[in-house]
Amino acid sequence: MSKVEQQTISSLKQIRIDLDLLQPDDPQTLIQIGAGLECIAVNLPEEYFSASELLGHCLETLQAMFHGKASDFPQTIRLIAVALLAVEQSVVSTPNPITEAIIKQAKELLQNGITGEEIENIAQTDESFDNLKDAVSDLSTLDAVANWLIQIEPEDKEDVIRLCDALKKLSSQTKESSVKKLLTKAARETDKIVKGKAGDVQETLTLIGDLIGQASPSDTIEEFAGQTTTPVEKSNVTQISQVKTPQKEPVQAEESVADIESYQTEYAADILTEDADISLLMEFVTESHENIEAAESAFLLLENEPDNLENINTVFRAFHTVKGSSAFLGLKRLTELAHHAESLLSRIRDGEIRCMGGYANLALRAIDMLKEMFVSLQDALEGGVMVLPQAYGELLHILTNPEAAGISEKADTSPQPSEVIKTSESFDNLSEEDLDSIKIGDILVEMDSITPEDIEEALLIQKRLRTGTKQQQPHTESSVRVRTDRLDRLINMVGELVVAQSMLAQDETLSQSIHFEIARKVAHAGKIVRDLQDLSMAMRMIPLKNTFSKMARVVRDVAQKCGKVVEFVNDGEDTEIDRNMVDLIADPLVHMVRNAVDHGIESPDERERSGKTRSGKVRLSAYHSGGNVVVELADDGNGLDAEKILQKALEKGLIESDKGLTDHQIFNLIFAPGMSTNDTVTDVSGRGVGMDVVRRNIESMHGRIEISSEKGKGSLFTIRLPLTLAITDGMLVRVGTERYIVPTVHIYLSFRPSSDAITTVAGRGEMVQLRGELMPIVRLHSLFDIKGSVENPTEGSLVIVADDKRRCALLVDELLGQHQVVAKALGTGIGKVPGVAGGAILGDGCVGLILDTAELVALARQTTNQFYRKGNSLKKVA
Amino acid sequence: MNSEKSTAQTKTVIAGIQGGKFLSFFLQDEEYGIEILKVQEIIGLMPITRIPRTPDYVRGVINLRGKIIAVTDLRKKFGMEDIEQTSETCIIVVQTNKMEIGVMVDKVSEVLDISGSEIENTPAFGASVPTEFLLGIGNTEGGVRLLLNIEKILSAQELVELCSENLELTA
Repeated sequence: MSKVEQQTISSLKQIRIDLDLLQPDDPQTLIQIGAGLECIAVNLPEEYFSASELLGHCLETLQAMFHGKASDFPQTIRLIAVALLAVEQSVVSTPNPITEAIIKQAKELLQNGITGEEIENIAQTDESFDNLKDAVSDLSTLDAVANWLIQIEPEDKEDVIRLCDALKKLSSQTKESSVKKLLTKAARETDKIVKGKAGDVQETLTLIGDLIGQASPSDTIEEFAGQTTTPVEKSNVTQISQVKTPQKEPVQAEESVADIESYQTEYAADILTEDADISLLMEFVTESHENIEAAESAFLLLENEPDNLENINTVFRAFHTVKGSSAFLGLKRLTELAHHAESLLSRIRDGEIRCMGGYANLALRAIDMLKEMFVSLQDALEGGVMVLPQAYGELLHILTNPEAAGISEKADTSPQPSEVIKTSESFDNLSEEDLDSIKIGDILVEMDSITPEDIEEALLIQKRLRTGTKQQQPHTESSVRVRTDRLDRLINMVGELVVAQSMLAQDETLSQSIHFEIARKVAHAGKIVRDLQDLSMAMRMIPLKNTFSKMARVVRDVAQKCGKVVEFVNDGEDTEIDRNMVDLIADPLVHMVRNAVDHGIESPDERERSGKTRSGKVRLSAYHSGGNVVVELADDGNGLDAEKILQKALEKGLIESDKGLTDHQIFNLIFAPGMSTNDTVTDVSGRGVGMDVVRRNIESMHGRIEISSEKGKGSLFTIRLPLTLAITDGMLVRVGTERYIVPTVHIYLSFRPSSDAITTVAGRGEMVQLRGELMPIVRLHSLFDIKGSVENPTEGSLVIVADDKRRCALLVDELLGQHQVVAKALGTGIGKVPGVAGGAILGDGCVGLILDTAELVALARQTTNQFYRKGNSLKKVA
Repeated sequence: MNSEKSTAQTKTVIAGIQGGKFLSFFLQDEEYGIEILKVQEIIGLMPITRIPRTPDYVRGVINLRGKIIAVTDLRKKFGMEDIEQTSETCIIVVQTNKMEIGVMVDKVSEVLDISGSEIENTPAFGASVPTEFLLGIGNTEGGVRLLLNIEKILSAQELVELCSENLELTA
């Protein structure tokens, strides 16, 4: 379903709810509803022509109501609601004869409605409603039956019989015996109603609802039972809105259409009003995002020490701020979620519940949901559509009453002490050395003197005492938010200042000793300028801390999902890196950390068998080394299986034979696209797209990644990154009077050829031979039309560069040396210049152009295509 | 529809320049004017880095305090002869909402107040003289000045178009 349709549906639902609440003396709301309808009608794609026509009729009716012409207010509203439902149905399932028929009927109803044939219409409405029911309910699935159940009226024997039949049929189809039993029982109860044996019809229906709920795989069905008890006498309109709700809850994958809209009847997304203050909202998004990130990392700490009040307060404050600001900005859904999450946290804060297991997972889910909503809000701000995340309603429901949803301090997957005890079942048969490794707590539990919970508590206290002395309040630094472009400009200006200062310092008048005083002042200014430069470079740098705490979350989640016990250690999170790179490195790291936990670390049992501790260790560290930032990811898991990699690589045809490959080369094969050593594809990893993306991302940052691994002991991934992206390493070359910068990464080598290495093809195309390889010579001076340069290759230098297909030799006059330059875009209004990647300010203040070698080669090929073809054929002969 | 639109545009442009301040400068012996609000600064000539494979009126790029901006030679653009650069040759840095670009002129003269009544519509010179680059003609006591529609002259689109034409030719 496209976005337009999704939005249409959710707005329709909102309008229906509004309509439900509409009072006869409330023209304001009436106008609002009208505006909403108009908006939908305008946005509806062309194929829904009849639907938008019907909407037009609804609008007319609304207008009539507004002018007080409608004689029976509630009845008219009901008619409109039915019409809207019809529209909704037709949008949910793309136009087909059935929906067309429904729409037609609804249209007739509406038109008649205004003329005042109310009494007849009520009957008709009911009829049309029945038709609608038939259209939507195909009683072949459990969910459909559940839906049907809440729609039927006990007095209507036919409906009940149909239900009974459906239940019987379902129970005969089901293979699972428990479900079968439940369904058969439900069918029996239904039968009672049919035969008039049931004492209280409503009660029996509730019972049937319960039974179906239990039989259904989704626990949300429970709600149906509750809804069945709602008085059937209630007006049709309210029923209409109920019909939709349960239909959407089931977990069945095939009902994707309904699923997407799950709970949205109750929770429609916020709609940005036109007068919303975009900049304020933007600020809110960034600010809240930071708040939530801080909350998340505090929360992960909290999980390890559930009683640390400072952490819980951080989390609490974050939610509170989000709640306050979103309420101020009129974002109801955010407020709602933040509010409920806050109440959960306040329970944790007041010691009512502890932040463990299910509660922790729940709170983290709330954090994730908030993040998701911020993303969608940002989308909306950039002109997109604000969509409420799918699971919003469900989460909110759980948050309001976690216990009812089965949430407790016990986690479903995280290991509990009881598990530890199971592993060492009897202490009697233990040898002496074993005794050392047994924990006293386990023995005590074995002797039934204490409970596992006591041990856990005691361990926590121990841990707190141990870390207590070291624990310091994290030093909070105050900061000012600055726009990135301003920061970049400042850094640019400082760079300029450095150049200007050095020009001043090298001025001839200063070097004469007579101006001693002024030279001293210039030198002083020089010192200040250098300090300023250091400072401005440091401003771009931010610590890796946030990225690392994100990884802690990844480790936790993946470990839980895979049923592994993993300890995550990080080192050097204060290492600073260019702020642009922080975002770029996060994705590859997530992949790698996931892999480390999912593939690297073995399951606890397996680890024990191979004589390791049950809990695996993943260590992420960062440090500076030789002008690079090094990020290391180590795990003590199984290590890479060279044989398996080889086998897979052979299978996929990545290599032709396994002869003569070093371990290093074999490990590098995992970066090839489509490579995965895991046999089964999980939702965590194993699809083989990860590592090649990792390498590509890292290379895009001019970084390198290396692997070392030992089977059975673990693996180590080392990423080396330059300190900043802003600086390009380049070779300054001269051609005539012009100077150009060739990025060093693109240069294979440079040399001055001897005359016998140069071959001319057909008197025009030139080739140079280097170590047996023939390469065409590209004359930069002729390509760029530069006068007065070296024409004879033996007098200049050849720089070997390559595009992705083949190498060629660039003829330049001379190499002036290696420089680090700040790459900048050429001025506005000049467009893209072929062969030039950008510009940079050189040491003397002039602009030097940075060459795009790949483009140059392509350009040369274009201009001298003919020669190349000949050159190629020559090469083949050679 | 199209012609309607363009006349509407010209009208607004003319209405917009009524009673403004203009920076006047010389090219050859002719005096021109640019709206002063579009002028960011005037700088002396500095070393210009040539950009290969661009039209000849694109002189190249300069380093304007750390920012790289392109420089257009108005003489070349208007098809005038090249002359030797003098100490009076300078670059007017023009800033419009779309771009920042340098314009090389022979010499800068003065800042003038030209009232709306002194601005006349561009007369039609016939096909040989392109007039779409003119806002109008300022007829003041000091003389006649051609008021340039600098945005149109420097339109990025045109530069790119010409660049690609150039490319196609060489290709």
